[in-house]
Amino acid sequence: MTPATPLWEFVDITKAYPGVLANDKVCIRLMPGSIHGLLGENGCGKSTMIKTLSGVQQPDSGQILHNGKPVTISDPQAARELGIATVFQEFSIVPTLSVGENIFLGNMPRSRFGVIDWTKVHNEAARVLAEMDVDVSPETITGSLSVGEQQLVEIAKAVAMDARMIILDEPTAALGEDEIERLHQLLRKMRERGTAILYVSHRLDEVERIVDEVTILRNGCVVRASGETKINVSEIVSAMVGEDIGEHYPKEQNAAKDIVLEAAGLATNSGVKDVSFSLHRGEVLGLGGVLGSGRTEIARALFGTDELTAGQISLNGKPVRFRREIDAIRAGLALVPENRKFDGLFFNFRASGNVTAASLGGLSRFGVLNLKAEEQATHDLIRDLEISTQAEEKTVNFLSGGNQQKIVIARWLFSASDILILDEPTQGIDIGAKIAVYKLINRLTRAGKSIILISSDHDELLAMSDRIAVVQHGTIARTVDAHDLTHDDLVRASADTPQSKPKEAFA
Amino acid sequence: MKRIFDTQLIGPFAAMVIVALIVALTTERFLNPGNLSNLSLQVSIVALIAIGSTIVIFAAGIDLSSGSMVALLTMILAQMLKFVGIPLVLALPLILLMGGLLGLFIGLITAYGRIPSFITTLAALIAFRGLALTFNNGSPIFSLDPALEPIFYGKLFGVPMPFFYLVFFYVLAAFTMNFTKLGREIYAVGGNPAAAVLTGINVRKVQTTTFVIAGFMTAVGAILMSARLNSGSPNYGQTLELQAIAAAVVGGASLAGGRGNILATLMGAMTIVIVQNGLNLNAAPSSVQNIVLGLIILLAVGIDMWRAEISGLMGRMFGRPSSQQSSNVKKEA
Repeated sequence: MTPATPLWEFVDITKAYPGVLANDKVCIRLMPGSIHGLLGENGCGKSTMIKTLSGVQQPDSGQILHNGKPVTISDPQAARELGIATVFQEFSIVPTLSVGENIFLGNMPRSRFGVIDWTKVHNEAARVLAEMDVDVSPETITGSLSVGEQQLVEIAKAVAMDARMIILDEPTAALGEDEIERLHQLLRKMRERGTAILYVSHRLDEVERIVDEVTILRNGCVVRASGETKINVSEIVSAMVGEDIGEHYPKEQNAAKDIVLEAAGLATNSGVKDVSFSLHRGEVLGLGGVLGSGRTEIARALFGTDELTAGQISLNGKPVRFRREIDAIRAGLALVPENRKFDGLFFNFRASGNVTAASLGGLSRFGVLNLKAEEQATHDLIRDLEISTQAEEKTVNFLSGGNQQKIVIARWLFSASDILILDEPTQGIDIGAKIAVYKLINRLTRAGKSIILISSDHDELLAMSDRIAVVQHGTIARTVDAHDLTHDDLVRASADTPQSKPKEAFA
Repeated sequence: MKRIFDTQLIGPFAAMVIVALIVALTTERFLNPGNLSNLSLQVSIVALIAIGSTIVIFAAGIDLSSGSMVALLTMILAQMLKFVGIPLVLALPLILLMGGLLGLFIGLITAYGRIPSFITTLAALIAFRGLALTFNNGSPIFSLDPALEPIFYGKLFGVPMPFFYLVFFYVLAAFTMNFTKLGREIYAVGGNPAAAVLTGINVRKVQTTTFVIAGFMTAVGAILMSARLNSGSPNYGQTLELQAIAAAVVGGASLAGGRGNILATLMGAMTIVIVQNGLNLNAAPSSVQNIVLGLIILLAVGIDMWRAEISGLMGRMFGRPSSQQSSNVKKEA
């Protein structure tokens, strides 16, 4: 089924940045009608490769062959003209414009007099969307769509320009399970039509499901070329990490009998209703559910961010009331937010300022900070959690995602919190860092701390939780023991009510 | 200690020295003791007000109100001394209190009313000037109190008094920003307000506090202004707010908030005043002075924005590896 000549061939691509060899003689061959996974840990050179492929930067050396003929991809415009479309991790859609406008952005069909031909924009956009089986009107304002639908609009742009090759960089990072499935259906359809697809993702379970061949990078070099590895998670992981990492999910059972937190009938104006559950000491309680089901809103209700309109939270049997975050923090709660860049990290601080931010009161006397204690504690945490030592001297924007996430968690180790709410703690970090986070969860529960884990990665949620509460429409539909649940159960359980517009309740 | 005198000071310090050297080499009278002492008098008012402007900027706000607030407070002080008959020892603390209260008012509206500080302080800029005109039918009030002038012109051990005010307030501000919980919270709020909320920092209170500090420092500046001219006038302090912001920016404070060093603002203020002094000594018209001030601000921000490129260029020129990180390609264990 695969034709003999590759559509694109990248031969011995080398790219160096000051002090780092980001790509070292990387070869990738892309066949028409094939989904090609490009995998590797953070910092392995994937992003550099994508930038080269999409014309954002030029390689230092190497050859690029298009249908067997050498070409240069001088800039992103040239890439587009050669039929390469790139869907970057950060969307490039304009949320205030309509879907149709976004699809033809920069390439608007014009009538004879040079004005935009709106009929054509909408008709063409409608045709593309119909072809993709996407049920969205071209006149809808893009920002009002769910994240998953916005992602599909992004891909519609590629379809509209008739791209022969599509590069998808972490296309599912923000998507729920059903949206991922929809995306995959679309990709399979495009594959049948002969499009070459380069698929970059950290979510290996879905890579296993969708890709036809993989290329794995490590430290800027290809460690497994296409066809050299079986497409199965454990083989891919060991090739990526370069060693046998042992258990992918090193779960420990540390749950005790006593209840530390009890929620009864919680409700908020942000869509949480009648949420009741209990959390044991040393337990990991997983919150499962689709994107927008209200898991993050439950976390906000517990943490005092959203005001409770009904219900009662009790800690160790005593009723409490959190008016603000500081009340929750003082009572021993911690929240590691979903988006560490948006509301987790202080990029103007080094590790120390980030670690102590939630404990400034305890660190100071008469308002004066004990900087020595701060440096010492940070130094110890950096060593304990195996955070890059650069964090001591540099502001945290220079660190990898995994290191950044560890620093956010370290903040709550320093504040000696007893109950940690971890919202998507492993999103966008590489497999080695993920395992480090899992080990950290074990360490916390071993020390008698309790964890509420929110994750869209079902395998992770199943493996690391003691019990799982399935969240639907802002309420907990049921709570079950994690080992009584399979991946399929969880997908079905969280998706079995109609959820065509899960965004609506929380928009 | 190493944190206060960190690399953020090198740039502004170098800029100040270079400017001083250029002026000293091109202008004979620059290094006269008389001129230097005059210089410290000139810099004092803007540099003291700039402490407040900079702290507001650290918390990602902006204060446009200080110039008009100076005019208003000099008029209130003049009114109290000349017409109401309040003694100086009582009037001065009252002015400081009033500055703090005006700042509190602006801060509360900004933080709790969720109106951008650009707007609240722009409104204050206009309204305070108007308020200042309601006193004494809008005319200046002169010859306030013979005891007022020594506050500005007095000397201690042969050193002009404003020098001591500068040392006192800059040491206090540097201590606050670098060693106290409040200082850390101000940087945190400026760096990432959403994250600050989730770490339990009372963001609105911190923002309000920065405006109280700014109002208080503006009052200090207003007292010096009145003492300097032994008068109050609704026309005092015009564009002072812009000079104070310029001092912060030339000192390297990021207008996005969260980054900067308060001591660098002093150097920024000195740089600006030295340039103005050099132009004055060479009898340059005020039009030229304003144009030069504009260019300095542009250059200071430009150097900040192009820092990565500049250090890369320096690296290539002097064979040093660039300090620019390519964290996305670097493997970090």
